[in-house]
Amino acid sequence: MILSPEILAILILDFIFIFFAIIAFILSIKIFLGWDANSTTKKQYRLEKQSFLTAIIIKYIFIVKVPLFLFFIFTLDKMSNVIIGAMCAAGVVDATPYGIYLFIFKIMNLYFFGYWLVIHNEDIKYETQPYTRLKFGIFIGIFFLFIVELILEWLMFSSINIDKMVSCCGTLYSSSSTSSISIIFHINKTLLLSIFYGNFLFIYIFYLLRKKYLFVIANILFILTAISSLIVFFGTYIYELPTHHCPFCFLQSDYYYVGYLIYTLLFIGTFYGIITGFVEKSKGNKIENYKISVIFNFLYVILVSLYPIIFYIKNGVWL
Amino acid sequence: MIELKNITKIYGINTNNKVIALEDINLKIKEGELVVLRGASGSGKSTILSLIAALSKPSSGEVIVDNKRISKLQDNFASIYRRDNIGFVFQKYNLISTLSVKENIILPLVPLNLDVKDVEDKLSVVTKRFNIAHKENTIVRNLSGGEQQRVAIARANINNPKIILADEPTANLDEKLSLNFIDILKELKKLNKTIIIATHDPLFFGLDFVDRELKIHNGKIIS
Amino acid sequence: MKNKINIYLIEYAINSILRQKAKNFFIVFVFILLIFLLTSIFFITNSIKYELETTVDSLPQIIVQKIKAGRQYDIDENVVDQLIKIEGVKDVVSRVWGYYYFANAGVNFSIVGLNEYENQYKNSFKKIIQNVELEKGNTSFMVMGQGVQKVLNENYYDKYFNFIRPNGTLKKVNFAGTFDADTELESNDVIVVSKDTFRDIFDMDENKATDIVVKVSNPKEISMIASKIKLIYPDTRVITSDDLKVSYQNIFDYKSGVFLAIFIISLFTFFIIIYDKSSGLTSEEKREIGILKAIGWKIDDVLKEKFYESFIISSFSYIFGVGLSFIYVYIFHAPLLQNIFTGYSQLKTSFELPFIFDIQTLFLVFFLSVPSYIGATIIPSWRIATLEADEVIR
Ligand SMILES: Nc1ncnc2c1ncn2[C@@H]1O[C@H](COP(=O)(O)OP(=O)(O)OP(=O)(O)O)[C@@H](O)[C@H]1O
Ligand SMILES: [Mg+2]
Repeated sequence: MILSPEILAILILDFIFIFFAIIAFILSIKIFLGWDANSTTKKQYRLEKQSFLTAIIIKYIFIVKVPLFLFFIFTLDKMSNVIIGAMCAAGVVDATPYGIYLFIFKIMNLYFFGYWLVIHNEDIKYETQPYTRLKFGIFIGIFFLFIVELILEWLMFSSINIDKMVSCCGTLYSSSSTSSISIIFHINKTLLLSIFYGNFLFIYIFYLLRKKYLFVIANILFILTAISSLIVFFGTYIYELPTHHCPFCFLQSDYYYVGYLIYTLLFIGTFYGIITGFVEKSKGNKIENYKISVIFNFLYVILVSLYPIIFYIKNGVWL
Repeated sequence: MIELKNITKIYGINTNNKVIALEDINLKIKEGELVVLRGASGSGKSTILSLIAALSKPSSGEVIVDNKRISKLQDNFASIYRRDNIGFVFQKYNLISTLSVKENIILPLVPLNLDVKDVEDKLSVVTKRFNIAHKENTIVRNLSGGEQQRVAIARANINNPKIILADEPTANLDEKLSLNFIDILKELKKLNKTIIIATHDPLFFGLDFVDRELKIHNGKIIS
Repeated sequence: MKNKINIYLIEYAINSILRQKAKNFFIVFVFILLIFLLTSIFFITNSIKYELETTVDSLPQIIVQKIKAGRQYDIDENVVDQLIKIEGVKDVVSRVWGYYYFANAGVNFSIVGLNEYENQYKNSFKKIIQNVELEKGNTSFMVMGQGVQKVLNENYYDKYFNFIRPNGTLKKVNFAGTFDADTELESNDVIVVSKDTFRDIFDMDENKATDIVVKVSNPKEISMIASKIKLIYPDTRVITSDDLKVSYQNIFDYKSGVFLAIFIISLFTFFIIIYDKSSGLTSEEKREIGILKAIGWKIDDVLKEKFYESFIISSFSYIFGVGLSFIYVYIFHAPLLQNIFTGYSQLKTSFELPFIFDIQTLFLVFFLSVPSYIGATIIPSWRIATLEADEVIR
């Protein structure tokens, strides 16, 4: 285990998270089982008070979690200097069997926590608090996912071995790689790009038509097509290297940390896209969400498309 | 507009020294009415006010204001209800003594995140009406009792509430200032506010603009 | 949803902080101190790490020393001719160097002997040899780092310096200038003289050297070649640059690890204090919350106000602590703390910390301080916010 200050900081925060998450979990169970909006008993009043504590804890975790996720990637990048063979965070993620799952859980949990907050904000608008049981029920589920994430994080940090050679992103993200990612390299580039732009077009059309569920599905698919096309095509223009496909390296200072911007746009765009399907009541809100989703997805498309276009203008050829 | 239905309020319900503060109260108050609650100390006047303000919940019965069962409101919504409907003038004024007059008066507006202009507009309306504009930046601690009360009244009115509740408004004032307060009451009455005053000050009894006097004794309305 | 910042709430929060001056002043003071210490430690370690890394990178890839009875002895110069024959070796140079204790000032100088016509094993030496005009025939000159010059000037040596030979006689050496090196650690205590002068000062045999450095064409072969050398000359110790890097790093990580451990303990103590301080409510505070709720503040509003308070306190302390530490480390060169990390500053002349601006350190300190402070205030704030409001009518 490397106990660098960065890892220690993350672990300290994890520790605080666990402490609070357990409180929120226990209260959630109590509220989920005992909630009765019509009752005027002391118990109900107590639960109402406790629901505030639970909500603020979850908000707190989410608000710290978002920048901490960026810091986490930052830390992996820094660790890649120490680990032999790793060039960027990709190598570190690959260095242990837990890395990739940790990553998936982290991203998933961000969406879930965000989703929880959306229901919560909707819930507290109404005197009847229609979603209270639902939201705390959902948190019970999120809690377990979150704990898995924290355990994976612990496992990953404790099993990283500085002396063991790891693969660098160059081999991980190439058509010759044996990993499951390599499939996307066998798809025809033009086809992939058409799917990507087509996907965005569909998001826009469903927005105009206000087709809720199609809009959600298009957004979920957009996460996949965006990341695949980023690895296969757009990434190479960011690096200006036809063979470099890594989705992590452009998070580094050499590329002006542009990766953080790329992923933030994609996250906000798809997140607001996905929640349009779940939030019921207030109409005005939903149109807002549609708009935010379309705008951010659009900005994402513009940003990644600029790289090849500028490259072409400068060099007169495609990679 | 305000309706109390079979209200009973018992303090310390599960303890030895339980107090029945109110017992089976039924009361209807119309919009624009000015009602004086009279009664000796401990008779339950303040308790009635706090129930109407949704500051506490009845042990049984219902409080209905504008067709809304406010006795059942969850804490946050009770606050919203108070913010939008109730101006409460407390017995001890309940100002924050280290803040200035202005800061005290705008306190109810702080969470609303209004524009500076809106806040200033509302502020100047009430400071002029209650004659405290010249002291706007004075720290409340340094004000006289009468001035403090005017600040409290201004604060109670900043959101232009429909209902004004005043608990022993003249308990800490000398006679001249008490008469001043009665003038203010007249003015509020002209603005068509529903006003409920809890007091045992004889000054309020038999005033011509008071619509009703209710006598409370041991938690019951006796006349 | 309005996303505008609520200035009235901020104003209220600041007022509220100021209203409890004594309590908050104490918290802010301790918090600033903690952040200041932590940031200073990170700044210093970053700088020294950078310094060490550049030093280590400029170190020879392989050093060969002669070992006899467990101690290092001078090595025969003709070993050079043998080593150059090993495949993969690019260059071999014998070095003469050592430490000279200057009793008047109580410091050690590192003395290096160089020959003009030899390949230099360090770029900075190459520069020195090029820059200094050597008077023909007179090999009795010295070039020194700025730190050395300062010490000597303070002791009234302006043009030459008298070395004391092992037998007690004096050796006069003229100054030929000073040099800048890549790093402060290196340049401060080094004196460069010719090999002949060096041997004269320390009474060393003609055909001996202190050690031998080997340059390898392909860095990946360093360890392989090192083991070959060890086979040919069993009486030598062969040190590679990687060994050095690791041992430097270890000492270093150990020291900052100890600090971090101490820090974490103090952090937790601090949070218990905060928790305690923000839980203990005076009746005045209770009344205040009662008033706020009675005039229409929601639980969420009170929570938000409390959040503003802790955010203001923690970010103020953060900014202030980091700022102080900037000044302390980079302007005043971290008196006291630096010694703990460098350790040998008693004997060597001091060096300045290079300015390494690392945004990550700022983030790191931020994550260690602000979120945990706010976390410590969550439960107390909630307790306050859910107090019954009807207290105020009594
Ligand atoms: N929180 C409480 N716990 C226990 N008893 C209470 C509480 N609040 C009020 N009481 C009791 O309820 C009764 C009615 O109180 P209330 O404050 O309504 O009287 P009041 O008419 O306003 O009296 P005063 O003129 O002194 O203000 C009193 O006997 C009082 O002691
Ligand atoms: Mg009373």
